[in-house]
Amino acid sequence: MPKLHVHIYPENKHVTIDRNENLLQAITRAGILLDASCGGQGTCGGCKVRIREGQASPVSSGMLSDDEKKQGFVLACQCVPKSSLVVDIPLESKLAEQRVVLLDGSEGDEVEFLIDDPNFTDEECSVPMYNRITLEVPQPTLGDTEDDLGRLLRTIRRETGIEFLQPTLDVLKILPEVLRKSGWRVTVSLAEGLGLQPVEINRVEPGPAADKHLGLAVDVGTTTVAAMLVDLNNGRTLAVKGTYNRQAVYGDDVISRIISVGEHPDRLGDLQKAVIDTINNLIEELCGREKIEPADIRAAACSGNTTMVHLLLGLNPANIRLEPYIPVANNIPAIRASDVGLKIHPGAWVQSIPGVSGYVGGDITSGILVSGMAQADELTLFIDIGTNGEMVLGNKDWLVACACSAGPAFEGGGIRHGMRAMQGAIEKVRISRDGSEVSYATVGGAPPAGICGSGLIDCISWLYKAGVIDRSGSFLKEAGTPRVRDNGEGIEFVLAWSGEVGICKDITISEIEIKNIIRSKAAVYAGIRSMLKSIDLKVEAIDRVVIAGGFGRYINIVEAVSIGLFPDIPLEKYTYVGNSSLKGARMGLLSRQARRQLEEIAKKTTYLELSEGNIFMEEFISALFIPHTDIGLFPSVQ
Amino acid sequence: MTLKLAKEKWPGRVLEMVIGQDPWAVIAGGDNTLPFHHFEGEMANRPVAALEIWDVEPTDWPEAIKAQFEGVLDNPVAWAKKCEDYGADMVCLKTASANPEGRNASPLEVAATVRAVAEAVRVPLIITGCGVEEKDVQTLQAVGEAISGYNALLGCATANNYQAITEACMLHGHNLIATSPLDINLAKQLNILISELDLPLNRIAMDPLVGALGYGLEYAYSIIERSRLGALGGDKMLSAPIICFVGQETWKTREARTEQKEEWGAQTRRAILWETVTAASLALAGGSIFVLRHPETLKQFNEHILALMKPNSY
Repeated sequence: MPKLHVHIYPENKHVTIDRNENLLQAITRAGILLDASCGGQGTCGGCKVRIREGQASPVSSGMLSDDEKKQGFVLACQCVPKSSLVVDIPLESKLAEQRVVLLDGSEGDEVEFLIDDPNFTDEECSVPMYNRITLEVPQPTLGDTEDDLGRLLRTIRRETGIEFLQPTLDVLKILPEVLRKSGWRVTVSLAEGLGLQPVEINRVEPGPAADKHLGLAVDVGTTTVAAMLVDLNNGRTLAVKGTYNRQAVYGDDVISRIISVGEHPDRLGDLQKAVIDTINNLIEELCGREKIEPADIRAAACSGNTTMVHLLLGLNPANIRLEPYIPVANNIPAIRASDVGLKIHPGAWVQSIPGVSGYVGGDITSGILVSGMAQADELTLFIDIGTNGEMVLGNKDWLVACACSAGPAFEGGGIRHGMRAMQGAIEKVRISRDGSEVSYATVGGAPPAGICGSGLIDCISWLYKAGVIDRSGSFLKEAGTPRVRDNGEGIEFVLAWSGEVGICKDITISEIEIKNIIRSKAAVYAGIRSMLKSIDLKVEAIDRVVIAGGFGRYINIVEAVSIGLFPDIPLEKYTYVGNSSLKGARMGLLSRQARRQLEEIAKKTTYLELSEGNIFMEEFISALFIPHTDIGLFPSVQ
Repeated sequence: MTLKLAKEKWPGRVLEMVIGQDPWAVIAGGDNTLPFHHFEGEMANRPVAALEIWDVEPTDWPEAIKAQFEGVLDNPVAWAKKCEDYGADMVCLKTASANPEGRNASPLEVAATVRAVAEAVRVPLIITGCGVEEKDVQTLQAVGEAISGYNALLGCATANNYQAITEACMLHGHNLIATSPLDINLAKQLNILISELDLPLNRIAMDPLVGALGYGLEYAYSIIERSRLGALGGDKMLSAPIICFVGQETWKTREARTEQKEEWGAQTRRAILWETVTAASLALAGGSIFVLRHPETLKQFNEHILALMKPNSY
């Protein structure tokens, strides 16, 4: 059978199709990411493409209108090419204009910056994951006949206090020559991970060595991946970059990816390759920009949720999904870059930040460290909302963490006109008293293409204030605005008419979607209340709330409180920490003290399983209201 | 030395609902203490009881109960009068004929029957729909208008159809039953939604969907008890009186329907006991309005309540 090809417009890219590969997989391999939030099940309608030339037989074309079918549109995931193809990818199908939150809430695609964190003292970065020290090794004599290695170990121990040391075979092979040729003055490079692993003597060089050595900090998110290049000599950040996780074609959230792994024996490898490719791409771009050889990167620290870390290392995450939700490991020793195909120095250590449980991973451990809550007297609530909402409550004496399935609504998933916070997403909404006038703002000021999480929150808050919906999210009959209409499948509210918009359709939100978002917000608030209840504290006891993650970047706290997503406590208690997962990875990369703290935090955090008992369910039902059934919990809202 | 009993003082109270018109009006709720704790507070009104009738002859009621209403089951007016004769505080008319899967009677047709019943009896009326949410909206709108001013109790409004039914109650001066599925939070949410449409809380009766003895009675008990504690604790949104549809739940149980089973005893006595025990238990939990089916249950229940209402001050 002759090879088939696909030519993709407007990118003008070319890709050869593997046997049995569907069009979505081929397009993804060409480096173009489509919005396949259902993971290629043919149910989300996001990966719509138009076949310009060639034959392809779609298995299913649900979600497409008859008009679209006539124009040659197909769902790429449902389509196996029968001949070579030429396809057009419409703008709306693309996961374009990535906005990945890097450190302080700035986005990576447009910002390149150097960060010298003033909070990061020299002392803290004294022992990075890859540490070089120059030593004078005592020469052997007839009265001191210890072997070369013993002599080196003794010297290193005296200098550093490190007890457990282990040389690589390569080091042993060259050690005698290097010692003698250098006049017993050498530089050793020590690779150091978490406390459970001996420190490795990774390299030995004659004399004081001066070449560059760099480290890589990575936030492996379910949706986005961000990488940062750090100079290990001085802790300076050289460059940061973020992008979408290429695993997206296998599903939007961790659960659909775990399911995907179970569907085919090769799939675990595919998912691992997808995320490794994503990171390698970032490395390539960062190194190219900084004119650095990837082989100079001598250590990497990766922070991600438990499933992402499993997939990164090629570990099967299947049991994380099944009761009682047990991961392979929460605290995983460092592995070598070459073991997973990470394109940095092949011998470099890759350390995953330890996690707490199957649903509270290293990204949250990082968040706890970065927020400073594990060292503080004040009671802090840490919230990281993505598809899963992870919450931590505590202070220097104790920490409780929980995870709840908030659903994809806040990332625009499951909402017809929902989208991530990309160019053109409606992120702010105001609605007039009677619901007749709507004003909105979009990300980047572009014509509206859809609505993102913060826009959805605004929307619900203002629809309620305007008297268009009731506290349960149902439309009120007497709301006599033409914006409320029955589309045949249910009632919806028109946020933007096609006439006023850059695209040819009205942007709407339906009653079912509103109730979905209310369920999402209820899950988060119920998680917070369940944690508080488990230690018998009231909302008012919280001294500080730290919001992390990409979704938190745009969120308007006042509106989030008014719909009952976040607790009603004074606004000044809220802070936004940016990408604390990446920050935590960076700290782990640079500082032994931080690594010890991360391990300590992961160990001492108590995981609260919300599916056990009925507290969460009861809290959830009572939170399914705007703002809450117990309105007294939201004194500022009434 | 005398023993002094600790007494609870509650900041809140259950609201008083007036159904019907003087001199036959019935008052439900109004307590500021736990049920029958006369030594602690005031239980101004005893729990009240209605007998249930249908506007179409029920096909699945056991003989044990049908026999009590022989000759009137196909005549709602006569059936209602019979209930009055049995001493019911109220008559609860279920408009089963409106069911789209049954006779599918039109709202106007149903309303005419209801109007005829209202004119024939002196006791207050509870009118319930057939249980199909959309149809109930139409039926109750027509019924509300047909007996405008009678100050009846209409239901059942759910989270999905409360808006139109609430409107009908406000427009025509009726009280409203708010039904939610055995969950105190959902019950409270529906009360908030309805009262935000400006129907006063003392015109809402909460129906938590009770279960009969052996069929989830304890769930209903605990929900009712928690609602009552909420009301007494000062939660206005839980302070509506509670209505319990005991008859319909009891008479579908195996214990009430099985005719011959020696070790269970005679069916009629068994079924009446089942209905009475269920109702009496829920009265202890805090129910205020009871809808029963068997006239003998009504009698037993009322006797029991009479005894419980005797002052027990210490």
